[in-house]
Amino acid sequence: MSDLTTRTETEAGSAVSSGPRAAYEATVERIFRHTPDTRSFFLRLPDGLHLTCKAGQFISLLLPVAGETLIRPYSIASSPEEGNLLEICLNLVPDGPGSHYLFARTVGETLRFTGPWGTFVFDQLPQAECVFIADGTGIAPIRPMIRRALASGQQSPVQLLYSALRECDLLYRQEWAAYARACPWFVFTPLLSNPSDGWSGLCGPLVEYVERHYISRDGDRSRHFYICGVGQQVTQLRDLLRRAGYQRRAVQYEKW
Amino acid sequence: MAKLRVLYETGEPERIIEFDPALAPFQHDGEPGSILDVLLGHGVHLEHACGGNCACTTCHVIVKSGMVHLSENSETEDDLLDKAPGLTPTSRLGCQAIIDGGEVAVLVPRYTINQQV
Repeated sequence: MSDLTTRTETEAGSAVSSGPRAAYEATVERIFRHTPDTRSFFLRLPDGLHLTCKAGQFISLLLPVAGETLIRPYSIASSPEEGNLLEICLNLVPDGPGSHYLFARTVGETLRFTGPWGTFVFDQLPQAECVFIADGTGIAPIRPMIRRALASGQQSPVQLLYSALRECDLLYRQEWAAYARACPWFVFTPLLSNPSDGWSGLCGPLVEYVERHYISRDGDRSRHFYICGVGQQVTQLRDLLRRAGYQRRAVQYEKW
Repeated sequence: MAKLRVLYETGEPERIIEFDPALAPFQHDGEPGSILDVLLGHGVHLEHACGGNCACTTCHVIVKSGMVHLSENSETEDDLLDKAPGLTPTSRLGCQAIIDGGEVAVLVPRYTINQQV
């Protein structure tokens, strides 16, 4: 893909590109292993480079794989306020060359990226109950959104409905529990699709839960939804909520 | 055979690509046979920050003619276009609009090239 080749220069923070889009370099400062197949990469931007990000946006990594430059978008799991340290969170995708490349990286290596990008963003808390729905690593863009919502000082109800396969796949769980203790208007609802015997919380399909709690249970259609996850489940949720009467623009989503 | 004519709001010279839709995909980003696929597969750049996965609006193009030769918009594409700067009634995402034949002309807006959205 010669149209995407970029030229790297040595000046810290310089946007360097002979192609159509400026690319930046970041250094892998830390790697956190959530589970055997889910990791967070903390990327340090060069001194002097200040990206203007919105909660929910992503960066596009330019990965040199098999003689090509693959473009792979990864949501920013850290908050815009955290300055020039970006966290991305991803799982190892079977037969996914991008994630396999990243899982082979070590601290100190550099990665090239463009961005931030994306229109799945959260600017301010709506004057209504706000429901964030995440599935698995779909929590990544949702995390800074929730932080933004809770930092607003506005005490409108905020809920995180977080679906995962197993308990260990519920990422940032301590953070959600801490928010729930500190902010009575925040409710954390974990939902597992394949729980262990010791799990005493909710389990079952995410779509069914949403239908029961946000459609069948009451006639309130003023809620705002922010949904992120992998595959058709996301568009199923979108269609379910919109057809039930929620306004189109009150159902925001990002499907991976 | 089909023909894709690309105009640029920046004033860059137009590009014309003739191709056989039956040979799609021409590379690996975007829907096979999409405007993005055809362009990249013939050495013509079109921004596609999300890798052509219908997750951003950076491949926004404005169809000038030949809309009848393009696949229907999906709801996901419409939702993204809803947030695209400079939206027009004939806006499409290059990664999603599949050319089934005939002749299509698209304009690449200036902000597609210069803005990060």
